[in-house]
Amino acid sequence: MMSVMRTLKTSEAAALLNVSPNTLRAWERRFGYPKPQRSAGQHRLYTHGEVAALRDALQQGLSISSAVSRAREALSTDTHTLVGALSGFELDRADTAMESALALRSVERAVEEVLLPSLDALGERCGIDSAPWAFAARWADGWLRRAQRLAPPPVRRSAILVGDATRNELDPDALAVRAFELFCGRSGVRVVALPVGGVSGLADVVTSLSPDAVVIAGGYHADDAVALWAYRVRVTAGALPTALFRGSPNAAPVRSTGARMLPPEPFSAHRQVLALIDDPHAAPVREVAPLRDGDRERREAQA
Amino acid sequence: MRRLHALRPVQVDERGQELVSFCGHCGQRPHPLATPRPSRVCGHCGLGLVLQTAAALAPRHDEPFLVVDTSLSVCAMSAAAEALFAIEETEAVNKHIADFLVPADANAPSAENLLTLLVDVASGSREACTAVVRPRQEYGVRFWARIGPCGSPRAALLVLS
Repeated sequence: MMSVMRTLKTSEAAALLNVSPNTLRAWERRFGYPKPQRSAGQHRLYTHGEVAALRDALQQGLSISSAVSRAREALSTDTHTLVGALSGFELDRADTAMESALALRSVERAVEEVLLPSLDALGERCGIDSAPWAFAARWADGWLRRAQRLAPPPVRRSAILVGDATRNELDPDALAVRAFELFCGRSGVRVVALPVGGVSGLADVVTSLSPDAVVIAGGYHADDAVALWAYRVRVTAGALPTALFRGSPNAAPVRSTGARMLPPEPFSAHRQVLALIDDPHAAPVREVAPLRDGDRERREAQA
Repeated sequence: MRRLHALRPVQVDERGQELVSFCGHCGQRPHPLATPRPSRVCGHCGLGLVLQTAAALAPRHDEPFLVVDTSLSVCAMSAAAEALFAIEETEAVNKHIADFLVPADANAPSAENLLTLLVDVASGSREACTAVVRPRQEYGVRFWARIGPCGSPRAALLVLS
């Protein structure tokens, strides 16, 4: 069961900290904390946990910088707890760690700030061919799929077809792809993920879904297999905006196909895909965000 | 009545020394007659916490200063110190004081005492004192530093002049 994160408006957060709303906005610019989300009307929404952690830290702090540092440290304990739970093969404790992370953050931030970094840390510590990694990756995959099922039903008319080019749920990119699907689903978009290895019956799915964009995610499958899958989609649905998410680091198909390279962070990637759907003719993003530390080594080890 | 208006409450420490408040970022002192604020955040700049120290030690608003805890980590850096060391407080916090300041004369008998001095002051076993320091990796530049306790929580205040 997922707990509901409590959010505060700017005036409420400022009152809790005994400062003015202007001061709170100045802190956001200078310290990057507390980091608000935006409501549908683009108003700032602060998570209660972040503000409360800062309020406690301010009482014991010598400067706002040190208080912010202490508050961040308090929040990062969720990551340590999750890594500890997964290292100890304790599923209940891992679920509890995510529950407490969700009490302080949105689902998106809990995934990006706690779940994915914890899995990265575990992968670096044990290796992605280890039993602890397999255990943790399967748990994380299950958690993300469960969250996806609990996401509100699609409210937009848009749909995204994801060509899943990851190996399986033990592929380090697979979790980022699941997170990307989750974020898109939570934004009200219909998402269907299909493995790029299977083209049989693909036309029926594409006709039924009528996607507005295609995202090819992962870098495990060979370029030929990916190209064949993309060709079948194009034959059925016509030329659609296409983007690559966590593709092979050596592939450079961006200019030849006009596909966009999405940033490796699932949240930023999902924002760019939504923008792509809203304005398919917008200039493609030329700058390719760097892969996270260790991604290339992990892929090479995997190959 | 006019004379009564000129009176102001004075806070003193356990030794009877006058204590003054100042912002850990801009160095501004709250007006002595101003209504106490519910929060410790500076009402002038909003970017620092209000700290207390002895009046003789308190920095003027243009004097660079740092606040160091017992582990010798920088906990606060004034705006003037940010300009002096060309670093933002957000980056300086939690770094060791020796990354910024070292004794001016490494051969002086008191040189090795700077860090001990700061620990002693921050832990409350020593009162205010002075030292000559220089920025790390800088030669020919020296500062006369006033070092004394501040808080709360208790820490060492190092004012460069």
